[in-house]
Amino acid sequence: MKYLLMIYANQQTWAGFGPDDWTKAIAEQDAFNKEFFDTGELLGAFGLADAENARVVRVREGAAAVTDGPYLESKEHLASYYLLDVESEQRALEIAARMPFASFRGVEVWPVMHEAGAEM
Amino acid sequence: MEDLLRQLTPQVLGALTRRFGSFDQCEDALQEALLAAAVQWSQQGIPGNPRGWLVTAAARRLTDQLRSDSARRRREQATAGPLRSGDVQSPGPDSELSADRDDSLLLLFLCCHPSLTPASQIALTLRSVGGLTTAQIASAFLVPEATMGQRISRAKQRLKDAGATFAMPERAAWPQRLAAVLHVLYLTFNEGYTATGGPELTSAELTTEAIRLTSELHRLLPDDGEVAGLLALMLFTEARRAARVSRNGSLIPLADQDRSKWDRQQIRQGVTLISDALTRTELGRYQLQAAIAAVHDEAADAESTDWAQILGLYALLQSIEPNPVVTLNRAVALAMVRGPRAGLRLLESLDGDERIARHHRLPAVRGHLLEMDGDIEAARQAYLTAARRATSAPEKRYLQARAALLARR
Repeated sequence: MKYLLMIYANQQTWAGFGPDDWTKAIAEQDAFNKEFFDTGELLGAFGLADAENARVVRVREGAAAVTDGPYLESKEHLASYYLLDVESEQRALEIAARMPFASFRGVEVWPVMHEAGAEM
Repeated sequence: MEDLLRQLTPQVLGALTRRFGSFDQCEDALQEALLAAAVQWSQQGIPGNPRGWLVTAAARRLTDQLRSDSARRRREQATAGPLRSGDVQSPGPDSELSADRDDSLLLLFLCCHPSLTPASQIALTLRSVGGLTTAQIASAFLVPEATMGQRISRAKQRLKDAGATFAMPERAAWPQRLAAVLHVLYLTFNEGYTATGGPELTSAELTTEAIRLTSELHRLLPDDGEVAGLLALMLFTEARRAARVSRNGSLIPLADQDRSKWDRQQIRQGVTLISDALTRTELGRYQLQAAIAAVHDEAADAESTDWAQILGLYALLQSIEPNPVVTLNRAVALAMVRGPRAGLRLLESLDGDERIARHHRLPAVRGHLLEMDGDIEAARQAYLTAARRATSAPEKRYLQARAALLARR
């Protein structure tokens, strides 16, 4: 089963982080990534750019309009996501607990829909 | 040529592992030899003794590898002896055949070793016994090729660390080990139970591969009832494939399927297998599931289905392998025989079972029985709950459609 782990954050989340904190945080996340890439359970790890760089595309009556930034400053945005392929929900939860951000804030765990269908 | 290489893979791997030990190194060497064969044979044609060619090519790589290893490995190699020219020629047909059979069985046992996770067992089996490439297996499971390669490497290392050997399990462990093999084949089949198809090796072709490997196992162990049962179950299920999905990709339940699309030949094969097994051997879970599938597949139409027989079979299955999924299925059969309320009462016993309480199938079956009972609004709510819980896209759409149908009443 595939699961998506997601971290949400905004500017305030990182407010207290100095350069040393960043170095440590990145090292811990890299170690996590390496560990679970090696087990074959982590399929992808993606960090999203700051909301500053995000755009929203809306097409109305054939015309595309692009605006800056998805949400208000106060809302948290998707900061990074990790795709797992594991035996069970329990394993996905175990791995999520190992993510450094889980000890800092929290990590969301969502099952990814698949296309296999049983006979109903 | 691809088919030939896949067929030869377990034979060559078996021969190499017998001679050299070190399953993981033999497997690596074979992979390289297979790549070389794919290139060379497509340019120069298939050699007269393709099996011998592969054994020689892999052995050459192996001896190079072993030579560059520690002195201890050099001593092991000396004990095994250098590969003589006679070894690569095919011996007499009978002895070669029985050696092949032993090797395939040993390989299956090795790949399904208890130290490995089911996912690793499946990947290793598909590669070493099925002869599929890492890329093919990766695509079937929708993971990157590098990830699948990683899993297979780790699996081989695990086998080594666990001290797993290329030898028949001891008599006492045989039933358990064989059960693990059957479980892996069953999981592989179910993994391929998908609505979509495609040009490369897709999940759908996994069912074909599972059937092929289980057929091989049946040839190796013709007297084992559970092997026959599993093969029959796969055939009965696969026979319905063409009727399971509508043109627009939506699921069609068993009761509504166009039975003229069922593969009668597969059904006949399944019936032969299960009838024979049931008369001769001790009952097991796969035989019972196959027997249930047989009752469905032999019914001319949904109305003619012998639900009383199915109910009896589920009761038997419950007694040898109690689990909530069996109870769920039994509730449906019970409803067909004694009315929906009887089925619904049985479902209540599952509400406290945390193995199934949050699964989508519980409210799905409940919805079906409530609908049968005429409690339309409750049925609609149950289908909606089931749809929300479903993680399979086709099943989710099916459940939403059922809820929508009831909304119009």
